[in-house]
Amino acid sequence: MTTARLVTSVFTITEFELRKVFHDPSQIFIRAIQPLLWLVVFGEVFAKVRVLPTTSYSYLQFLTPGVLAQSVIFMAIFFGITLVWERDLGLLHKLLSTPAPRYSIIIGKTFAAGVRSIFQAILVFVLALIIRVQLNMDPISILGVLFVIVLSGMCFSSLSIFLASLLKTRERMMGIGQAITMPLFFASSAIYPIDLMPDWLKIVARVNPLSYVVDALRALLVTGDFSHLPTDLGVLVLAVVILVGLATLSFRRIID
Amino acid sequence: MIEVKNLTKRFGPYTAVDDVSFQVGKGEIFGLLGPNGAGKTTTIRCLLTLIKPTSGEARISGIDVLRNPQQVRQLCGYVPQDVSVDGDLTGYENLLLYAKLYYVPSAVRKKRIQEALEFMELTDRANSLVKTYSGGMMRRLEIGQVLVNQPQVLFLDEPSIGLDPVAKRVIWDYVIRLRDEFDTTILLTTHDMLEADELCDRIAIMNLGKIAVTGSPEQLKAGLGGDVVSVSTSEADCGTVLRQLGYQLLSQSGDGVCDLVVTHGDQEIPRILEELKHHGIMTKSVSLKQATLDDVFLQYAGKRIGDSETDWRSTRMMRRTLRRLGQ
Repeated sequence: MTTARLVTSVFTITEFELRKVFHDPSQIFIRAIQPLLWLVVFGEVFAKVRVLPTTSYSYLQFLTPGVLAQSVIFMAIFFGITLVWERDLGLLHKLLSTPAPRYSIIIGKTFAAGVRSIFQAILVFVLALIIRVQLNMDPISILGVLFVIVLSGMCFSSLSIFLASLLKTRERMMGIGQAITMPLFFASSAIYPIDLMPDWLKIVARVNPLSYVVDALRALLVTGDFSHLPTDLGVLVLAVVILVGLATLSFRRIID
Repeated sequence: MIEVKNLTKRFGPYTAVDDVSFQVGKGEIFGLLGPNGAGKTTTIRCLLTLIKPTSGEARISGIDVLRNPQQVRQLCGYVPQDVSVDGDLTGYENLLLYAKLYYVPSAVRKKRIQEALEFMELTDRANSLVKTYSGGMMRRLEIGQVLVNQPQVLFLDEPSIGLDPVAKRVIWDYVIRLRDEFDTTILLTTHDMLEADELCDRIAIMNLGKIAVTGSPEQLKAGLGGDVVSVSTSEADCGTVLRQLGYQLLSQSGDGVCDLVVTHGDQEIPRILEELKHHGIMTKSVSLKQATLDDVFLQYAGKRIGDSETDWRSTRMMRRTLRRLGQ
C-alpha cells in the first residue's frame, strides 16, 4: 500500500513536470544554444591549436561528453529556482497539503529534472552528428548514456533543492548557481584531462561529481574502456542518495 | 470535526498564534476573521500539518494532527490564499494532478474530475492552459482541485481575496452549495466582514495571534448592545463630553467624529443632540446604522479591520499576473 502510493506520487509529479515541457517545447531548443557554442566555437578552435593531449582521440571527441554533462548540470543546478517560485506563488503549499509524502515530492521533482535532461542529451547527439564527431552510437552505449544523464540530473537538481531550502530567494539562487557552475565545470575533466591539472586542483576534481559523470559518458561514447565505470556509477548513485536525503530533510525549511 | 486546544506557534521571538482554542462542528462554516498578521493562515497551516505547532494540540475528525499527519491530509482539502494552480498546465491536468496525489482510485478519477469541472462550471475551458484563465476562473479551479478528493474538511484561506464583487458572490455561492450538498465542514479565513457575515455560521475574531471572541455573526453584533450612532461635530473632544454623559464610545477620531453604541438608536438621537447642544457643541451630522462585524472587531481589537485591504488585493493580483506571464 505505502510503496504503491509512493510510486504513484513520484510518477505523478514527474508526469506533470514533463507535461509542462510538452506544453512549451521551445525551452528545449533554447537550452541547446549553449552546448552548441561550446562545441562549435570553443571545440573547433581548440581542436585547431592542438594544445591539449587527448591521446588517440580528436579533441572534439574528447569534448563532446564534457559538453553533454555540462549542459545537463547547468540546467539542473538552477532547478531550485522553480521550487522557490512555486513557494512564492502558493503552489508548493498546496502540493504539501496532499497526503503525498514529502520525500516522494522531492524524488518526483528530481526524477523529472533527470528525465528532462534526456531531451538535452538528444540535442547534443544531433549537434555532434551534424559537426561529424565520431561517437559510439550502439544501443547499449546510448542506454548507458541516458542512465548516467538521468542520474546526474537528479544529483544536481537535488543539490539545487537543498541549496534553495537554505537560501530561500530566487536572487540568491541565481547567485549561487552562477558561483558554483564554473568551478564545477573547470575543476573536472570536462574540457581537459585531469592529468594536466596542478596537484591541488586534481584533489578538487576527484571529489567533484561532475568528473565521474564525464568519465562515465566518455567511456560509453568514445573510449569503450569500461574499467572505471563501476566506480563512476557507484559515486553517482551514492551522491544522488545523499543529496536527495539532504534535500528531503531540509525541504520543510523552504515554506517556513 | 475540528478541535483545537491551546494551539501556539512561535517563530523565533514572534508569537504568531497564541494559545488558541476552538471547535468546529460537522457541516459548519466557521470563519477566522482578522486583519493581516493576526495568525489566521498560521493556524490553518498548523491544522494541515504544513508546520509544526510550538505547543498545544489539534484533532481533525478525531485524528491527531501531530501523530498522523498523512491521514489528516487525506481527509482535508486546502485552498491557499495565493495562486495554487499551475498556469503551464491545462485546467483538466491541474485536476488530474491532484486526483492522483490524493490517491483517488483510477476507476472513479475521470468521473470526479468531470463532476468538479461541472460544479465549478469550467467544463468548456478544461483544455485551455490555466495562464489564459481570469482571476475568478483560477479561484474556481483552485477549489475544484481539492473537490476531486471529496474532502470532509475544507480549508479556504481568504477565498475571495482580489476578486471583483461579482466573482466574489459566485465563490460564496459555491462555498454554501458545497456545505449544503456534501455536508463539508469548512474553515475559512477572511478579513472581509461582509464575507464573514454572509458565509459563516460562526466566527472567531482573531487579533495578534489570539481569539478575542467566538460566536455567530448575529450573536456578536447583538453582543455590542444595540445600534451604532455616528455623530460629527465641530468640537474635537466631543468624545470626552459624551463619555462623561455615560455613553459607550466605540471609537473617536481627532476631528470630532464619534461612534456610540446605544440600545435604541432612533429614540436616543434627539437626546444626544440635546445634550451636545447643552454643552455648547455644534452637531454637523448624525447617522444611525445597524451594528456590523467591523464594529464588533473595533470593540475587541481597538481598530478597524479594513485598513490593509488594498495591500492584500494588490499582492494577489501581482502574483496572478506573474503566474500568467509564465516563468
